[in-house]
Amino acid sequence: MPLDAIPVVVINTSESTPLIDSGLSGNAPVLLREIAELLQRLLTSDEASAIDLRALPLTPADLDWLRQALGRGQVVATLEAEGESTLNETVCPGVWWVTHHNENGAVASEFIEVTYVPELLKAHPDDVRIGLEHLELLISDLS
Amino acid sequence: MQGPLIDTLARQGVTRRTFMKYCATLASMMALPPAAGRAMAEAMAAAPAATKRPSVIWLPFQECTGCTESITRSHSPSLEGLIFDAISLDYQETLMAAAGHQAEEALHNAMKENEGKYLLVIDGSIPLGLDGAYSCIGGKSNLESLKEAAKGAAAIVAMGSCAAFGGIPKANPNPTGAVSVSDIIKDKPIINIPGCPPIPVVMTGVLAHFLTFGSLPELDSKGRPKAFYGETIHDRCYRRPFYDQGKFAKTFDDEGARNGWCLFELGCKGPVTYNACATVKWNGGTSWPVESGHGCLGCSEPDFWDAGGFYKALSMPADPLKFASTAAAVGAVAGVAISFANRGKKSAAKSAHETTTLADLEK
Repeated sequence: MPLDAIPVVVINTSESTPLIDSGLSGNAPVLLREIAELLQRLLTSDEASAIDLRALPLTPADLDWLRQALGRGQVVATLEAEGESTLNETVCPGVWWVTHHNENGAVASEFIEVTYVPELLKAHPDDVRIGLEHLELLISDLS
Repeated sequence: MQGPLIDTLARQGVTRRTFMKYCATLASMMALPPAAGRAMAEAMAAAPAATKRPSVIWLPFQECTGCTESITRSHSPSLEGLIFDAISLDYQETLMAAAGHQAEEALHNAMKENEGKYLLVIDGSIPLGLDGAYSCIGGKSNLESLKEAAKGAAAIVAMGSCAAFGGIPKANPNPTGAVSVSDIIKDKPIINIPGCPPIPVVMTGVLAHFLTFGSLPELDSKGRPKAFYGETIHDRCYRRPFYDQGKFAKTFDDEGARNGWCLFELGCKGPVTYNACATVKWNGGTSWPVESGHGCLGCSEPDFWDAGGFYKALSMPADPLKFASTAAAVGAVAGVAISFANRGKKSAAKSAHETTTLADLEK
């Protein structure tokens, strides 16, 4: 069983105060306004930005709420780099949910990126050059 | 983003994207804005090649090697290690192959060749009692070694609570007259990285900052990098919302504890402890004390050992809030007094020592 599967907050459904029993702190909904603001900035000044989810006092339930509210969009990207990273577009195009896992599968950092394409997905010219050399090598082997 | 470090990493099979991911996570841990990750990636990638790597000398004094354990067992050896690829670690007793005279020679050579430029890392406190006889290396007291090595250092990193504040050796009644690095060295920039042990990534972060921005990170009033020690455990705690709602666990096995409520009443020192455990976590981000259900001990604060009991709530009369100011001053004076008067005072020290019983642990 992965460690993440052990619940830190036990959700007690029998009591009457729904906010606390569900593990929600009430800090998640306000983030929607901030994301809207960042999207506006992307449209008007072409400026990409990010929110560090680890830097905010969010409970696991808050994160689930936010994930559910933003939903899943069309693009789902996976990066294999010392553990898996997922870069998923949400229902709102331009809003990406980025999760970096370490080699053990634990979440190392988590961001909401507001950008047309996350920087991490783009290939670097130096790497493209290496790819080109490789391709030329393949072609020269053909003859 | 290119440079010798990227090339070195590529040879080790670490891709550019892996490196960028690491830097994004490091920036997040340093509580820097997300954009800083990219700046760090670019600066570190451009770090000078092997011939010009900055020299680092690491001296252990009155310590338990826990700090070294913490650093060397950091989670991703290849990536944490890349920072060490960007420096030249010239002396580290636990890690170096040389021993005895060879080791001492390496130390002196490094100090001579890099005079005025090397970074000195100290772990452990410095005993002043019995003229420093409590801890010696190669026939030299720690006090002598520190003064000698500090002379040519560009800056000093006091690694762990012992080097930063005196730590456990300095705990009442401080039998060895232990003091911190900053109690002795007054004319060099000193960065305190307290914690028992400190979080490995803080060390990496300080070095990364040095390589990225060409300067030491901004420090708080106790000489700690603000990036990691800028906020209390409490402020960044995921249980903080429950504190705000007045929901407290009363015992370690009650319903509140099971529901993950605030551990304040069980003695958590989170509200007065400045450290990054709540965001960085431990063991590769697996968990940290509060997430495991135990309050913070305050191990990165001065004199945490004498702060009135790990299981006493901060609001109780023991008044650990005096922690920093008065307790530290009294402790320092006591340390010096022991070193001067000493010898015949053993019985006094004994009587000042309070034996901890099981009853003390229960509030």
